[in-house]
Amino acid sequence: MAKNLPIVPTAKPGSMAETPAGSTWREKRPVLMNCTCLEVTLYCPDGALSIVEGKVSLDLNLCKGCGICANECKDGGIQMVPEYTGAQGVFPVKGEE
Amino acid sequence: MTLRIEDLPKEELFGQGNGGCKACGAAIAGRQAMKVLGERTIITIPASCMATLGGNNQKTAWKIPFYHTLFEMAPAVSSGIRAALEIQGVNDVNVVSWGGDAGSADIGFQALTGAAERNEHMIHVCYDNEMYMNTGGQQSSQTPLYALTSNDHIGKPVKKKNMLAIMEAHGLDYVASASIAYPFDLMEKFQNALANPGFSYIHILAPCYRGWQIPGEKTIEFARLAVESGLWELFEVKKGVRTRTHEPSLIPVADYLLPQGRFKNISKKAVEEIQTSITKYYGRGDK
Amino acid sequence: MSTTLLTGSEAAAYGAKLAKIEVIAYYPITPAFPAMERVSKFIQDGELKANFVRVESDHSALAATLGASLAGARAFTVTNSQGLLYMTEVCYHTAGLRQPVVMACANRALSAPHSRFPEQGDAVSQGANGWIQLFCENNQEVLDNTIQAFKIAETVKLPVLVNYEGYVQSHTLEEVVIPDQEKVNAFLPLVRFKTLDVENPQGVNTVTSPDFYMDYKFRQNEAMNEAVKVIGEVAETYGQEFGRNWSGLIETYKMDGAEHALVCMGSMVSEARLAVDELRSQGKKVGLVKVRAWRPFPVEALRASLKKVNKVTVFDKNIVYGMGGALGTEVRGALYGQASLNVNSYIVGLGGRKFGLNEIKQVIELSEKTVKQDVISEWFGL
Repeated sequence: MAKNLPIVPTAKPGSMAETPAGSTWREKRPVLMNCTCLEVTLYCPDGALSIVEGKVSLDLNLCKGCGICANECKDGGIQMVPEYTGAQGVFPVKGEE
Repeated sequence: MTLRIEDLPKEELFGQGNGGCKACGAAIAGRQAMKVLGERTIITIPASCMATLGGNNQKTAWKIPFYHTLFEMAPAVSSGIRAALEIQGVNDVNVVSWGGDAGSADIGFQALTGAAERNEHMIHVCYDNEMYMNTGGQQSSQTPLYALTSNDHIGKPVKKKNMLAIMEAHGLDYVASASIAYPFDLMEKFQNALANPGFSYIHILAPCYRGWQIPGEKTIEFARLAVESGLWELFEVKKGVRTRTHEPSLIPVADYLLPQGRFKNISKKAVEEIQTSITKYYGRGDK
Repeated sequence: MSTTLLTGSEAAAYGAKLAKIEVIAYYPITPAFPAMERVSKFIQDGELKANFVRVESDHSALAATLGASLAGARAFTVTNSQGLLYMTEVCYHTAGLRQPVVMACANRALSAPHSRFPEQGDAVSQGANGWIQLFCENNQEVLDNTIQAFKIAETVKLPVLVNYEGYVQSHTLEEVVIPDQEKVNAFLPLVRFKTLDVENPQGVNTVTSPDFYMDYKFRQNEAMNEAVKVIGEVAETYGQEFGRNWSGLIETYKMDGAEHALVCMGSMVSEARLAVDELRSQGKKVGLVKVRAWRPFPVEALRASLKKVNKVTVFDKNIVYGMGGALGTEVRGALYGQASLNVNSYIVGLGGRKFGLNEIKQVIELSEKTVKQDVISEWFGL
């Protein structure tokens, strides 16, 4: 029995965000420290960074861990930390030790 | 109108959950552009990374009507869309075709030049990563001189085709270059294109870290170095008047070229020659 | 309703005008171009409210037509031969996107060597592309089929190619009845199918995995199967409304008591009718089956109509290299296992080679003498 499909091959708008596969590829993730440069949200390829109440906010479900935000944040307010924390435990995050 | 980050719409009309590689320059360009284009936009994208990362099966990363077209026809399809909207009395929808360097400058050029000559009321965007990345990084007409690609292991022997000059030669009322490292400059150019009732062309340099052989997190950084070294000039041509929209600091071209894996075969002499021509172009005297 | 002299090109243009097409995109090619020139004049004279996109290539012509259709407009274009081949990729794509686009095709031979003369090879080359294909025997049918094509296309959501022969039809004047606009409006009301719509955004033609692709193709083929029924229904309704019933997939002519049936499509049908009349008057039991719809291929209809004959002669104005005539091959396939009848297939009239009444009679005579062909198709008229 053939699947029930729309007549014209079409997809529901915005539906990829419901099950973002890219977050499973992540080797590192950004940690927002004291980032105040709102512009970094415009450099995110995945719409994972947004501005909420005047501050940069991160949705890790959408983040592929590319590190562009950390590279671009002018005040060094975003740091990339490894997803795999190793047998020794969590690598210390700068400023959070 | 000068844009401020606070004024940009919060809605993500494109990008969330997209199937692109991490650090995708094309996706960044798409997100920046959509902040200005808005929800009343129909976009056609020919075969490219941008088309494939935007949807699979019954899912899409677009919240506006998005159509993944055949390779050589996006501007023609958009012309038909505009004609259909017009006959239905719909005048408040932006029609955009968005191709890669192949879908714009090479296999897609015929439909592009046709639509431009007809001065169709639409915007064509070339997001340029300077090689055919969707098939693994082969040489395109937009690959710069000396760059390595997956089907050329020596380095490109000829220059990058100047698409902006070609599109300018169509006598269009709006032609602009842009870079994902200068989002406000880019977004203002989209505003200007929207204000043009005819055909507008925007050519965005959007690095691909895999093709350029640079670290992913440096995607924006290299887009910026391309501009600051003077190799990618940011300008617009509005009704024939050409304006440089950003004065580069003219850092040495070597700082842009040499860290990229794709330029590992470039000779010292070649770098010097490029530097000389850039210095001359910007009229800042010999260094 | 009025009767006037029209070329096949003009008949296609009038058909499109009566169907109230809204967008046409076109790139000139010989001999299809007069149809579009006529449409362009209708628009500029204010007789038709439509947008004309003067594109830079045949490929873009169908691309723009498709774009217009996706955005909800009734869209039309015209081409033939090299133009149709250049569109091939877009043809498959249009069918896969299930768009009710209608295209008229003034059939012409394919290069190389270069020829601008009539033949059905261009249409035959598109036999697997997912378009419904109708063949017209005269200019009246060109007009009527163009209107019906939209009805069929919009019912089953598949594009339709309306074939008429280059020069033989496209440039030849015949008497054509032009139906009243109001009656056509009632027969073919404007229904919009919007796929690209800002009010209802969707992603179209996303990358499709093996989990879905085959199901889409199954559905697409089902629509083609549905067209088998719809083409007949549309012809029937059209016949009731306009007094001309071109029948559905096939039409049988003087098949009562026929022992020998001719099978062909396009302009050859008109002359085959004359041949049948003449032979019948001589007491020969010859009949004719006109293939009006080549896609979907009328398998059941052919089997039923050819049940009682013992010989079938097929004329093909095309050649599938290394195989034979497309229609001959397919007729044999359709009739396989039905009876021990003898199907003779002839390649005729390629690239404008003369194939008129006399030639038809010669082939019939030849076929009468041939009990079993030792080739798939024989060449006639070399």
